[in-house]
Amino acid sequence: MSVIANNAAVKNAQAFEPLIVAFCCNWCSYAGADLAGTSRLNYPANIKIIRVPCSCRVNANFVLRAFQRGADGVIIAGCHPGDCHYMTGNYYTRRRFSLLKNLLAYVGIEEARFKVDWISASEGNKFADVMNGVLEKVHKLGPNRKLRDSRWRR
Amino acid sequence: MEKIKEEIRQIAREALTGKKVDIILAWEKGPLWYDSYPAFFTKEEEVDSLTWDSFCINNLSKYLLEETMADKKVGVFVKGCDALAFNQMMQDNRIRRDNVVVYGLPCPGMIDPDKVRAKRLNRGLTEVKQSGDELIFVTKDGEITVPAHEVYYDKCLYCHYPNPVVYDQLIGEKVAAETALDRSERFSQVEALEALSAEERFAYWDSQFSKCMRCFACRNVCPACSCERCTFDDDDLDILGKAREDSEDQFFHLIRAYHVVGRCIDCGECSRVCPQDIPLEKLNRKLIKDINALYGEYQAGLDPSTKAPLVTYQLEDADSFTAGEKGGKGT
Ligand code: SF4
Ligand code: SF4
Repeated sequence: MSVIANNAAVKNAQAFEPLIVAFCCNWCSYAGADLAGTSRLNYPANIKIIRVPCSCRVNANFVLRAFQRGADGVIIAGCHPGDCHYMTGNYYTRRRFSLLKNLLAYVGIEEARFKVDWISASEGNKFADVMNGVLEKVHKLGPNRKLRDSRWRR
Repeated sequence: MEKIKEEIRQIAREALTGKKVDIILAWEKGPLWYDSYPAFFTKEEEVDSLTWDSFCINNLSKYLLEETMADKKVGVFVKGCDALAFNQMMQDNRIRRDNVVVYGLPCPGMIDPDKVRAKRLNRGLTEVKQSGDELIFVTKDGEITVPAHEVYYDKCLYCHYPNPVVYDQLIGEKVAAETALDRSERFSQVEALEALSAEERFAYWDSQFSKCMRCFACRNVCPACSCERCTFDDDDLDILGKAREDSEDQFFHLIRAYHVVGRCIDCGECSRVCPQDIPLEKLNRKLIKDINALYGEYQAGLDPSTKAPLVTYQLEDADSFTAGEKGGKGT
């Protein structure tokens, strides 16, 4: 690495503001985010929430695309198994993303960058915890380069 | 195999003349020693060029897609792995069973031309004969006998289902189903990768994926990749661009592997046809291994009446992300 590039990297690391994309199910986790907000719990502004009707609406493309176009971490949050608004959606989520999580780790994506969790509408605290937890870990890892489209600019 | 070949030809002729089928789908010998490629036969006299030898690696089941769509009656010959593929396509509702007559061929194993070349057995090669567990390579300079497992495809050495699991008529005797290599061994390369660090794994896969030229041969040959319209072909969806860009290669590979999860029969066709020698089986088998570990042993294509692992669930399923606690009620 050249000196200039090295300096730029140091600068980058100092100014590093992770970008986290969180897919939240409308019925539980999005309401959980609401509750976290109304309870004035702190969760960072770097988390971009995308509301989905159900956690099983998220497919693998969404996760990869998020990494491709700038995310340093991706979160999928849905209702606890058994509480799905559509009865069974999150049971499928559980299988699908258990496999995707392992697959991403297998091709070398740091595990902390992708998180799936169950957050109910009443768990404002958990919502803030999960978001802060991922943010903290991703911050330590630094900016994500893997899967990133080289044409992407912040 | 010689004897079986005659039998196959006879069956094909009778099926065509008796109007039992409109088309016979089998193999034909090409100009090169390792060429036994898929061929369609519609007339009795064409059947003379039909072949069955140790190079009939191509899976014919995939061709049933378009053919059955055209409302034709097709007779198809299937080896063990092709039968799994057939079943998988049945499970995915991509074959109309009434339109197909399946002739099952117990398979002794197929020869990997690369292994033949590595042994330099291809020089002046005119014919390969099978006798028991040995293969006789008839060359211009005489005959060379080698143990069959030394030149068979790796996948054949792991094969558990050399006898077709589905057929209307079985041709010849069933072969022994014991494998030359321990079947769990097929995950050893996956385990070796798992043991590396994230950085090493990324470096490995990045170097593999970036070789890809997105010819889509791996998709086209795959019996589990049978969608009428592939998401990668649909420009309107803006799923995949055309740029030579590493992230797009990575995207393609992860989605390809993920789309066949739970439906991949581990036939190895994708890695076989890849012109860039990308070890796609290491992705497929990782997913198979994880399904087996998380949701119980599953072999795609064994029974089309069951549900693939990703289109079903159990209330008490494990997951890979909540560290032991399963979450939810009643678990
Ligand atoms: S066959 Fe190989 S080169 Fe072609 S698209 Fe598949 S992985 Fe890429
Ligand atoms: S091994 Fe490859 S070609 Fe065969 S079913 Fe699996 S993904 Fe498809």
